[in-house]
Amino acid sequence: MSALLRVENLHTHVVLKDQTIKAVNGVSFSVAPGEIVGVAGESGSGKTLTGMSIIGLTQSPIKIISGNIQLDGDDLRSASPETLRKLRGQKIAMVFQDPMMTLNPVLRIDVQMMEMINAHEKVSKSEARTRCVTALAKVGIPEPERRLHQYPHELSGGMRQRVAIATAMLLSPKLIIADEPTTALDVTVQAQILKEMQALCKENGTALIWITHDLAVLAQIADRIVIMYDGKIVETGTAKQILLKPKHTYTQSLLASLPKAAPDADKGKHIVTDSAPTLIKLTNVHKTFGKQSGLLGKFAQRLRLTTAPLITDAVIDANIDIKRGEIFALVGESGSGKSTLGRLACGLLQPTGGRVEYNGVESFRPKTQNAKQARLAVQMVFQDPQSSLNPRMRVLDIIGQAPLAHGLVSRANLEDYVSKQLERVGLDISIKDRFPHEFSGGQRQRISIARALAVNPKVLILDEAIASLDVSIQAKILNLLAKLRNELELTYIFISHDLGVVEHISDRVAVMQKGRIVETGPTREIFANPKHIYTQTLLNDVPRIDALNHI
Amino acid sequence: MNPRLSRFAKAYFDDKIALAGFIGVVVLILLAIFAPLIAPQNPYDLAQLTIVDGRLPPGSEGTTGIYYLLGTDEQGRDMLSAILYGLRTSLIVGIVSVMLALVIGGVIGLISGYVGGWVDAFIMRTVDLQLSIPTILVALILLATLGKGIDKIIIALVVAQWAIFVRIARAAVLVEKEKDYIAAAQCQALGRWRILFTQLAPNCVSPLIVMAAISVAGAISLEATLSFLGLGVPITRPSLGLLISNGFEYLLSGRYWISTFPGLALVVVIVCINLVGDRLSDVLNPRLDT
Amino acid sequence: MIGFLSKRLAQSLLVMLIMSALVFVAVFAIGNPVDVLIDPRATQAEINAAMKALGLDQPFWMQYKTFLANLVKGDVGNSWVYNESALKIMMQRLPATLELAISALVIAIVVGIPLGAYAGLKPDTPSARFIMGSSILSFSVPAFWVGLMLIVIFGVKLHWLPIAGRGETISVFGIPFSFLTLDGLSHLILPAFTLSLSRIGMVIRLVRSGVREVLGQDYIKFARAKGLKESRIVRVHVLKNALIPVITVMGADFAGLLTFAVVTETVFAWPGMGKLIIDSIAMLDRPMIVAYLMVTVLIFILVNFIVDVLYAVIDPRISLTGAKS
Repeated sequence: MSALLRVENLHTHVVLKDQTIKAVNGVSFSVAPGEIVGVAGESGSGKTLTGMSIIGLTQSPIKIISGNIQLDGDDLRSASPETLRKLRGQKIAMVFQDPMMTLNPVLRIDVQMMEMINAHEKVSKSEARTRCVTALAKVGIPEPERRLHQYPHELSGGMRQRVAIATAMLLSPKLIIADEPTTALDVTVQAQILKEMQALCKENGTALIWITHDLAVLAQIADRIVIMYDGKIVETGTAKQILLKPKHTYTQSLLASLPKAAPDADKGKHIVTDSAPTLIKLTNVHKTFGKQSGLLGKFAQRLRLTTAPLITDAVIDANIDIKRGEIFALVGESGSGKSTLGRLACGLLQPTGGRVEYNGVESFRPKTQNAKQARLAVQMVFQDPQSSLNPRMRVLDIIGQAPLAHGLVSRANLEDYVSKQLERVGLDISIKDRFPHEFSGGQRQRISIARALAVNPKVLILDEAIASLDVSIQAKILNLLAKLRNELELTYIFISHDLGVVEHISDRVAVMQKGRIVETGPTREIFANPKHIYTQTLLNDVPRIDALNHI
Repeated sequence: MNPRLSRFAKAYFDDKIALAGFIGVVVLILLAIFAPLIAPQNPYDLAQLTIVDGRLPPGSEGTTGIYYLLGTDEQGRDMLSAILYGLRTSLIVGIVSVMLALVIGGVIGLISGYVGGWVDAFIMRTVDLQLSIPTILVALILLATLGKGIDKIIIALVVAQWAIFVRIARAAVLVEKEKDYIAAAQCQALGRWRILFTQLAPNCVSPLIVMAAISVAGAISLEATLSFLGLGVPITRPSLGLLISNGFEYLLSGRYWISTFPGLALVVVIVCINLVGDRLSDVLNPRLDT
Repeated sequence: MIGFLSKRLAQSLLVMLIMSALVFVAVFAIGNPVDVLIDPRATQAEINAAMKALGLDQPFWMQYKTFLANLVKGDVGNSWVYNESALKIMMQRLPATLELAISALVIAIVVGIPLGAYAGLKPDTPSARFIMGSSILSFSVPAFWVGLMLIVIFGVKLHWLPIAGRGETISVFGIPFSFLTLDGLSHLILPAFTLSLSRIGMVIRLVRSGVREVLGQDYIKFARAKGLKESRIVRVHVLKNALIPVITVMGADFAGLLTFAVVTETVFAWPGMGKLIIDSIAMLDRPMIVAYLMVTVLIFILVNFIVDVLYAVIDPRISLTGAKS
C-alpha cells in the first residue's frame, strides 16, 4: 500500500531575534490511507509544530526550513498558497485542543460549518445545510437542526469538540490532524469521542494523525505510534510494539513513569491501621457559593446596583475521616467539587453547613483558639505552578515569609532555615535569590512543596499538584512526596482526576460527582470492585496502556 | 543592580524611539528644575521687562542688549524664558496631580477589590458615576467653583483622575487575588493586611505605573486646555497653555511666535511622556510577560 | 426586552436623580451670582430684592426641592443673563454641537478602522509603525493647539477654508444643519477634524489591539485549517470580534466627545452648547450650567442605551438582561 502522507526530513525552526530553536529537527514518517497514527511526546518535543507544518499553518516566527511533505500526490512544500488553501479542508483538516477556543464565539454554528463547504464547492444553501445536519448527526450530536442555529457558548465543551470534528469531516478529507483533541475534556467525554472518531475514520477511510502527550489514549485508538523527543523521532512502530515492547530508552522511561497498578507497586500501604487517630474529620459538610443576599442586598438588586448572585452547591453533605499517616485520594471530574472539599479541609473556605475538625476541634472557624496552629498544620500544594508562586518575590521570601511571621525562625537564621527546606525537596540552595520565572514547572512545584513544609505541617493537601507536569517529571515529584512522607510522617490528601496515579499511590479513595461523595473505601477495593455506577463508568473510561482493546 | 530592574531596563531600551522619549523626558525635567539658571530673564519680574522690546520677532536683539531667540510678547517678555518657566508650571501641575491621584486612587482600589462586599460595591458605584462624567467637565465645574490657582487646578485634576486609578488597581487585585499564591499565603495564616501589602500590591503596580505615565501627559494637556479656556492657572504664573492662549489674538495678525513656540514646547513634552508611557505598557504588559 | 427596557429606565432615572443632586451642589457652590449680576453700587435692599427674585433667600434644601420639582417639568429656570428659558436656549444650540460631535465620530471611525486593521494585520511593516506612531501623536497633542495651527495654515496662510462659524445652513424639520450646503460643509471640516483627531488615534489603537488579539485565537487557526480565503477570515472572523470593544469604548466616550466640543467650539467660534457653557461659567449663570449638564447627562444615558442594544446584537454572548454567560 502506498503512503497517503509522506514527511521527509522536516525541519521547522522558531526563529527569534537572538536565538533559533530547532523545534522540529529532521522528522520523517508516513501515514497510509485510513491509518491512525499517534504522535506522542512531552511538551516541547515538537509534535504540535510537526502537525502545523504538515497542514501549512506555521506563522512567523515559526518557519519550515527544509523537508518534503507529500500528500496524496501533491507536494505541499512547493504548492502555491492558493493551492494549499484549496487542499486544506478538502484533503486535509485539523482539530485543535481547546474546544472552547476553536469556534468563533460571535458566529452561529451553521455559519461556521457552511462557510467551509462554500469555500471549496458551489452548492445551494439548502444542500449545504443538509450536509451539515448529516455531519453533526454522525458525530452523535442530538437535534442537529437546532444546534445549527445556536452559538458556540450555548454548547458544552464535548459538544463543541464534536462540532469541530464534524466540520473537519464535512468534505471527507483524506487526512485529519488532531492535536490533543480530548485533553481538555473529562474522561467520560473523552472515551465517547475516542470511540466516535475511531468509528468515523474506519467508516470513511480517513487517515488520522493523533497528537498527544498521553500514551494511554493512543493505546485506545492508534494503529501505529511515533514517539518524539526534542524535535526528533526516537521510535516508530505498531501500537503493540511501542506500548508492550519499547526499544528506545526514552519510550521505556515514558512508559515506566506512567503509573500502573502493578502488583509490585505495593509501597507499605499497611502502615495505616484502623486504630490510627483521625486527623481531619468532615461531618455533613455543605458548601454553597454565592451568598444569599440580606435585606439591603435585595434592595440593591432591585435597583440593579448589584446583580443577584448565582447560588450553586459545590459540596453536598460530605463525610470524611482522614487518619494520621494515610494517603487519602479525592477523585472526580472537573466541577465535581473535589477542589472545594480540599479547600474546606484546610480552612481556606468556611463550610456553609456541617463541621470541619482538625484533631477533634473545629479550629478553622475564624477567631477560634489555636486557629493559627491548625491552619499551619494543614498545608496545601496547588495545581498551577505558574500562579502558585508570587512572581515578585524571591525564593527566600516565598519560603521564608510565613516561618518568619509566625516566629518559627529568627531573621538571623532565616537563610539557613530556607536552605534546609530547599535541600529537603532536592533543590540547590543557591537559588534563594532568584525569582519564580527562572524555574521550570517541576522546580516550581518543588518550591511550592518546600514552602508548605517550611511551617512544619502534619497534613499536605495536594490539589492536582502534578497534573500540569510532564509524565517523567510527575514520577519524580511522586517519588519526592513518598520520601518526604516517610521522613516527616506526613498525611496526604491527594486530589486528582488521574485515576492511574490515584490507584498507584493512595490508601483510601473517595469518588465525587456533582458535589457528592458517591463512594469511599480502600483504594484496592474500589478499583477492583466499584459499587457505584458512576465509579464504574469512570474506571471503565480511563484509557489504559494494558487495554490495547482495539487491536 | 536588581536583576528584575536590569531585565526591565534592557527590555525598555531595546526600542530606539522609547530611548529618545526617555532622554526627552529627563532633559525636560532638568530644564524645568534649572529654569531660573538657564533663562535669560525672569519673565515674572516686571522690572526686567522692557516694553519697547514688545512683539519682537525671533532672533531680535533688544534695546538692553538681550538676544531674544524666540521673540517677545506684547510686554517685551522673552518667550524662551516664558516657555522655560511655563514648562515648570505645567510639569509641576501634571506630575503632582497624577502622583496624588495615583496614591489615593490606587490605595482605594486595592482595598476595594480585596475587601469586596458592600465597601467594594459602594466605591465602584461612585467610581462608575464619576467616570461617566467626562474629565474635562469635572474639571470645568470644579474650577468654576474653586477659582484660579495652581493648588486649585491640582485639586481639580486629582478629582478628575482618581477614579480611573481605583478601577485599574481594583481590576488588577481581582485578577491577582484569585491566584494560588494568595491562597497559599492564606493557608500559611498570614494576616490579611500583610497579604494585601506584601503579596498583592506589588503585583498590581505595573498597570498603575503605565496609567500614571500616560496620565501625566493627559493632565498636562488638560491643564493647558483649561488655561486656554481661561479657567486654569493664574496669569501671574502662566503655564504653557496660558502662554498659547495669550498669543492667540496675535496669531491672526501674523505674529505667530507668541503662540506657536509655547505650543511646540507643549507638544514635545506630551509626545515624550507618551512615548515613555507607550513603551512602559509594552514592556510591563502582563499578557506579553512569560 | 420589556424587562430590559424598564430596568434601564429605572436605572436611568436613578442616575438622573443622583446627577441632579451633584449638579445642584456643585452649582450652588459656585459663588454668589448676585455679586456678578448686580451693579456693585447697589444697596443692600436692592441686593435682597434680587436674591428674593432668584429664590436665593430660601434655605439650601428648599432650593433643591424647588429645583427638582421644576426639573421634572423640564424647567431649569430662566437664564439670568439672557432672561429666557435656559433649557430652550440650550436646545437651540444642541444641533450645532451634535452635528460637530457626530461628524467627528464618523471621521474617527471611517479613518480609524481601516488604519487600525492594517496596523494589526501587518504589524511589522514600516507603514504600520508609522500609523502607530502617528496615533500616539494624534491623541496626545492638545486639540486646541491643533485647531490653532489649522487656522493659521488653512485659514490665514492658504485661505482655503473658513475658520469661524457654521456658514450657510439648511433647515430640516426646523433644525439647521451645516453639512447640507457646500459653504456649511467647508465650515465644518476644520472643527470636525480637530475634534476627531484624538478619537482617530483611539480607534486605531483599539482596532489594532483587537485584531492582534483575535489573530492569535484558535478559531482563526481553525478557520485557516478549513481552507477559507484570507479575505473572508479577515472580514468575518477577525473584524467582527475586533470591533466589539470599539463600539463599547466609543459609545461610552461619546459624552466625552460632546464635552470636548467646548474646546473646539471656542477655537472655531462654532455656535454650539460648548461656547455657551464657557460664557455661562464666566457669568455664573446657574440655570444655563444646569441646563447644559442635564442635556449632557440625558444624551449620555441615551447613547449608552443604544450601545447596549448594539452590543447585544453583535455579541451573542451578551443577553439584553446584562448577564454574560
